Amino acid sequence: MVGHLDADCFYVSAERVRHPDLRNKPVGVLGNNGACVIAKSYEMRAAGVKTGTPIWDAVKLCPTGVYVKRDFYWYEVLSRKMLEAVSRHFSPVEYYSIDEFFFRANAPRAGQRLHDAALAVRDHILEACGLPVTIGVARTRTLAKLFSDTAKPFGAVTVTDRDHERELLARLPVTEISGVGGRRAARLAPYGIRTCLDYAQAEGRLIRQLLTKTGYELWLELNGHPVTPIRPERTPHQVLARGGSLMGNVEDPTVLWAWCVRHTERLIEELHFHNVRTDALGVSLAWKDGESTAGVCKLPVPSDRFDELLDGARTALRRAYLPRKVATHMHVVAPELRRARGFQLSLFDPPNAKLDAVARVKTAVNERYGRFKLRSASTLYLPAVYADPANNFDICDVRGKVCF
Amino acid sequence: MCSAIALATSELPLSLLEQHGLEDRVHDRGGEKEVRFYWQARPALLPVWWDGRLQVVKWGNRDRAERTLPPTGWTWRETVEDGKWSAMSPEPVLVPATFGYANGVWYKVKQGLQGVLVRDRTGQPVVFLVTEPATRYYRVMTRAEWMPALVGEVI
Ligand SMILES: [Mg+2]
Repeated sequence: MVGHLDADCFYVSAERVRHPDLRNKPVGVLGNNGACVIAKSYEMRAAGVKTGTPIWDAVKLCPTGVYVKRDFYWYEVLSRKMLEAVSRHFSPVEYYSIDEFFFRANAPRAGQRLHDAALAVRDHILEACGLPVTIGVARTRTLAKLFSDTAKPFGAVTVTDRDHERELLARLPVTEISGVGGRRAARLAPYGIRTCLDYAQAEGRLIRQLLTKTGYELWLELNGHPVTPIRPERTPHQVLARGGSLMGNVEDPTVLWAWCVRHTERLIEELHFHNVRTDALGVSLAWKDGESTAGVCKLPVPSDRFDELLDGARTALRRAYLPRKVATHMHVVAPELRRARGFQLSLFDPPNAKLDAVARVKTAVNERYGRFKLRSASTLYLPAVYADPANNFDICDVRGKVCF
Repeated sequence: MCSAIALATSELPLSLLEQHGLEDRVHDRGGEKEVRFYWQARPALLPVWWDGRLQVVKWGNRDRAERTLPPTGWTWRETVEDGKWSAMSPEPVLVPATFGYANGVWYKVKQGLQGVLVRDRTGQPVVFLVTEPATRYYRVMTRAEWMPALVGEVI
């Protein structure tokens, strides 16, 4: 059996952990720019506010709603706490997203019913992390995820017998299956496939014809045949990137370089936070005339160290750079992540204890005295960025879901 | 700008509520009672931690009762730091708040807002909220060009 755990309105619940006065009130967490709601409490949802609603519409729909600036760092902290709590009950656990995990669901103790074990985790997470979550247990990942959604909020549903399974599937439209959007649903409709049960009971061959291999795999999962295993080694991110608008038009290569250094420093914070290193470094630039360019530099060894990444960034920026053109956006990307342990050191680059120590000092100073207190002098070309106090509070440092 | 604050009634002693006749400023939000202090209210009032205790005092000088005070409820941080209030013997105070309000948007406040407290001719306390240019985030969130100086946080 597979378990799926999903925190209920996670960002809002996370804010309520540290601000109990937000409980029972309509609460909206705002995205990166403060322009739209990226998470809402059930109370705010009842007023008609949806994820992605611009704050100006939300205020009209829900005038007594309280808005909070997102703090992905805090959400990430609670996410790990949650992961730790689940891991005490079940193993292995896959970190699927910031507020969703899959786990192999076996009744941990002899004589304990699986459903009681699921309830025990749910209650343990509320107690240990202060977060309400919902759990679904079923024969496969796809089924578990579908069913946990039906039990929200603060529910637990364990589906072991087929009749129960069919009953629930019959109530769910096919669009509830992640990966089956409107276009795919439209392809199924002429065959009378509208509910998840219709989908499961259709001919496998027909599904493969209509929705290719991916659709067929979902069909197998809906019929109780696990396709995707639990992947405990999975890194929550395949790619990490830092960047955004250059706060205007930039032509001066010195200023471009300053931005590149800033984003590299921010990217290193991310690599440290997720305990990963990168095999390569990429720089992408968007130009005012609508064109975009990118350059990538392979690193000699997977790294999270400033001097090594900076060398990579220099090469990557040079490859992306177009002289005498005006840039508007830049991203620095770590495209190939490795878990920090277990990577191969290059034969030609012995570990550099001195530079490792410098990197540790920089991290320690910034942790103690604030972000970017110690930073590369190249970033002195960006006084406006560092003078705005909001920038110290990770103004556009996205972790997890993004608001566009 | 910040044209109102809300403070949970659990933070405000009942005696203060009665003493200042704040009963009709009590509102319900999600089943919890809070007092809303609007700049538009008459009289405009704010809670302040002053002299070691929580008090409710006059907010600003909208009625222009005082000639020596600006006819507003706010002052720039820069003005305070430049010493332009020094003749009034200003005292920095904390204005406790659960939520702040600007252009129709209520937002969470962690501890409170910074205020400057002075006395009028009769020796009665008057508080002004300290403001600074809005951060980009605050500007997008509230469409306000300036924001209150918050205690222990930046929005
Ligand atoms: Mg969730």
